[in-house]
Amino acid sequence: MSNWNVLWKFGGILLLAYVIVVGFGTPLQPGLVEASPDRLVPGPVTLELHAVGQPFADEVGSTDGHRLILRSGTDLIDTRLIEVAPHRVQAEVTIPEQMPSPALDAFLFTPATGTLFLGNAFFVEGAGSGPVADEFKAKAPDERSPDLGFSFPYQPNIMESIRNLLWHVPMWFAMFFVMGIGFVASLMQLRTDRIEWDHRGEAAVRTGLVFGLLGLATGSLWARWTWGAWWVSDPQLNGALVTVLLYTGYLILRAAMSDDERVGRLSAVYNVFAFVMLVILLMVLPRYTESLHPGKDGNPGFNSYDLDNSLRAVFYPAVIGWGALCYWMYTLRLRMNRAEHRLLTK
Amino acid sequence: MNCIMFHILFLSSLEGFFFGSGKAHVVTGVALTILAGIALSLWRMDRRLTRIESESNDTP
Repeated sequence: MSNWNVLWKFGGILLLAYVIVVGFGTPLQPGLVEASPDRLVPGPVTLELHAVGQPFADEVGSTDGHRLILRSGTDLIDTRLIEVAPHRVQAEVTIPEQMPSPALDAFLFTPATGTLFLGNAFFVEGAGSGPVADEFKAKAPDERSPDLGFSFPYQPNIMESIRNLLWHVPMWFAMFFVMGIGFVASLMQLRTDRIEWDHRGEAAVRTGLVFGLLGLATGSLWARWTWGAWWVSDPQLNGALVTVLLYTGYLILRAAMSDDERVGRLSAVYNVFAFVMLVILLMVLPRYTESLHPGKDGNPGFNSYDLDNSLRAVFYPAVIGWGALCYWMYTLRLRMNRAEHRLLTK
Repeated sequence: MNCIMFHILFLSSLEGFFFGSGKAHVVTGVALTILAGIALSLWRMDRRLTRIESESNDTP
């Protein structure tokens, strides 16, 4: 292998090693996930809130610097913290007889990790509608800028599974990349009728399918964690499955014929059609429909809500790393096709 | 790089839930082993193909 070949191949592997180490090694920012009891009635009550991610306190002990405030409508209700643990707080509060809204949001102010929020944390039954009496009202503490270090953002529902972004999305990008190579190869095949382009098209589709199946598997795993089901009837998910099945059809079509020239031309036509369908099913149709999948409904890509700088520092290397691995696999398959053809035609 | 990782993994006072469960390092180790296996098999395949190509070019 030439120096350049060694560089990009093993550079890609090193990038993926970096992605694995940093992707699994970086802590998640803290976030509130659970409140109990979820139903409250007016009067004194003890509340408990649970969090995931980085702990917001070192150990069970002092409540200094921590505050828990509840919000009903625009009114704030004060509480008294009785215990602060690394991932849990307990507080006493007297629920007022009347409040603007029966739904209470929780704000936990911490010195180390800033403000944690849980919307609709509690629901009050039996309280009248109206402003909160002054004796229960709280004044919000000043906002602090916590130093969380290098950490991944906390997103409700997604939580620790946000690390899958470094696998699932770059795998689809890699599939797009190599299927694009296959598309160009098929167009060239139709134009020139040279077997070399057929080899390239076949190698691209075969490699792209591996990454498509990996993308489906990682997506299904992610869906199970965040949406509660291995598969949901969503335009993006169904489009991805249809695309993979279409490309599987390409391989079946090739296997069904023995005449090399016919195989080359027919599969090139099919591949052009499959790539157009890939673009329509994965990039066009889902944007016209409501979808659970992020980046849809008029929003074509990632934005500041999906990615922050710490995620970008791992996500972009992941895209390059998976792309390099995919391209390496493609070149190997292409060389196998060439070697096989050379042996058979000698 | 090592210094950064050491800081992230061991020196941070804010040890996360993911570490607290004790599984993060196991997952990282398994994933790295799989990646090393893939890289090794691709590299061996690459070398074998290079040999086949050179033999094929030498043969009239």
